[in-house]
Amino acid sequence: MSKIVLSGIGKSFGSTQVLRGIDLTVEAGEFVTLVGPSGCGKSTLLRILAGLEAADAGEVTIGDRDVTRMRPADRNLAMVFQSYALYPHLTVAENMMTPLKLRDLGLAGRLPFVGPIFARAEHLRLRKQVHRTAATLKIEALLDRKPGQLSGGQRQRAALGRAMVRNPVAFLMDEPLSNLDAALRVHMRAELSELHRRLQTTFVYVTHDQAEALTMSDQMAVMMNGEILQYGRPAHVYAAPASLEVAKFVGSPAINVLPGEINGTGDLSVMGKTLIPDTRLARQPVSVGVRPEHMTLDPDGPFKGVIRHRENLGSDIFLHAQVDGLDKPVILRSHPRLLAGTGLAEEVTFSALADEVHVFGADGLRQHVAKPSLVEVG
Amino acid sequence: MPGSRAYLWFIGPAIILMVLILLLPIGIAGALSFTDYSLGNTSANFVGTENYERIFTRTTYEKMFGATFRYVFVVVPLTVLLGLGAALLIHSLTRFGDLYKTIYFLPVMAALIAMAIVWEFAFHPTIGIINATLERGCGTWLETWDWYAAGCARTFPLWLTDRDYAIWTVAFIGVWQGFGFNMVLYLAGLTSIPRSLYDAADMDGAQSGWERFRLVTWPMLGPTTVFVVTISFIRSFQVFDTVEAFYPQGGGPSKSVYVMMFAIYEKAIQQNLMGIGAAITVVFLGFVMFLTILQRWLVERRTHYV
Repeated sequence: MSKIVLSGIGKSFGSTQVLRGIDLTVEAGEFVTLVGPSGCGKSTLLRILAGLEAADAGEVTIGDRDVTRMRPADRNLAMVFQSYALYPHLTVAENMMTPLKLRDLGLAGRLPFVGPIFARAEHLRLRKQVHRTAATLKIEALLDRKPGQLSGGQRQRAALGRAMVRNPVAFLMDEPLSNLDAALRVHMRAELSELHRRLQTTFVYVTHDQAEALTMSDQMAVMMNGEILQYGRPAHVYAAPASLEVAKFVGSPAINVLPGEINGTGDLSVMGKTLIPDTRLARQPVSVGVRPEHMTLDPDGPFKGVIRHRENLGSDIFLHAQVDGLDKPVILRSHPRLLAGTGLAEEVTFSALADEVHVFGADGLRQHVAKPSLVEVG
Repeated sequence: MPGSRAYLWFIGPAIILMVLILLLPIGIAGALSFTDYSLGNTSANFVGTENYERIFTRTTYEKMFGATFRYVFVVVPLTVLLGLGAALLIHSLTRFGDLYKTIYFLPVMAALIAMAIVWEFAFHPTIGIINATLERGCGTWLETWDWYAAGCARTFPLWLTDRDYAIWTVAFIGVWQGFGFNMVLYLAGLTSIPRSLYDAADMDGAQSGWERFRLVTWPMLGPTTVFVVTISFIRSFQVFDTVEAFYPQGGGPSKSVYVMMFAIYEKAIQQNLMGIGAAITVVFLGFVMFLTILQRWLVERRTHYV
């Protein structure tokens, strides 16, 4: 159990700066997710932590050891790759055996054919270890098969097995679920969380899917353009995004961004309608973020729009309403039963829950709204 | 549609062509190999397996097999190993890779007949660059090597006309000419190895380049290697141009470079003994067939990963 500290990590490829001084502390046993759009540097950061890539600046510490200049093999981390990277010519058992062999066996013990004779006891011990791990992952039946004969989910498990088998300090996972089909992905999400609870080992998980970050992690780091924009508990990141970019990235469907304004007396108004009086903010134009679930259909609501599209998910329904003066439709969540009669091209009125709106200044940073009024103002 | 004959129109042209230009000539060669036919004769006598008996009993053909196998078993391993080595080195380069690729591939593209003339000059005992260079080394520490000392005392070997050296010299030119081709095949194989496997090997604790090679590169090149070895075998069995250029008559000193292709040419074309020429061709076909079937079997058995 050791804590992982990344400090001041910088990395450039040619003239493109991929990471700009990243600081990140992962406490022992935490499930940390690095999430961001593709090209934000999250995978590079993970590879630097793994030692597969050298940082231009900064330090990596695992426990008390500075591992910045250490080879990946000496860091005792395990990695699960997006493509699984199983050795195709070896069976699952041999794949899982490989890290053990390379670490625990001497040169003689590693020889093909005669190796098991030279180091018989060792080989038996390692084989037992492989079987124990396989039992944990319920892949004992697959041990004699080659990766080519496995389905995506089974390969995923075999790759996990290869990572788990030598009890590493931490697991690094680079988009491990993105090659699976949707149903399996949701299933594996639960299974990975369960695995983390059982192993109590540190997980550092890279994904571009904010749903994975929200559902699985203890802490999530939202990365964009080589920087960590926000680091915190998923619930907190969702409920109080630190910037407009984070707010837009986290949550699906994406947050609605409405142009707003704070007037001389500190009242926040959106499209001419006062939403929150007396925010104690200075006079400025602002962006107001409202999540779809905080928009409600309301016959007396201040906003009007025409329904352009309905997405019925069964449990929820999302309405895309075209509002005059906005480029993008506003998305509202509702319940299918409440909307039985509403069809396309119909006009609806709605309101926003004033205590759930997020106010962002011109620089994109979250503005603290003092004592938001709980009263909706029309 | 049951009863439809449309499929004949789809496979017909290919089958007709294959029969006309491949199967029929092979059949004719097979038939001729049991006769004493000569080009221009209106008829031929059936001689049974006499031609084959000759191939497997006469010393000339013993020499033919000797020369062919010597050549093949020198050229195949060396071209494969050198091709792999050159490919690995070039693949590890970040710059000038294309330059080296071109240099190593040049002999493959060059007309071998022309190259043979150049080599003939290089190996010439008096004006050749090779022996001249070797003579420069006389009087130095190189003379501690007995072979070298003997060369200095008398004269360095007549590479192309000494029967102890001729076949090895021809094999050397075969290696020089052939490994660039294998290098290109291996380069293609190397680029198709996913990067993530090397990352996985690093994470799993592969410390040295050798361990990475053993764990990832070599197994992943398995299918390429089977192909490269087969194609090298077939190409080496086919060696002809160098032999014909160096020794237009007789297949070298004491027939020591009398390789199969040259034997076919000499018997069937120069001496107009179609029967025996056809018989050698059939034997040759047997070798190539055996290698090809072996390759298919290996590919399906051992290296079929996905």
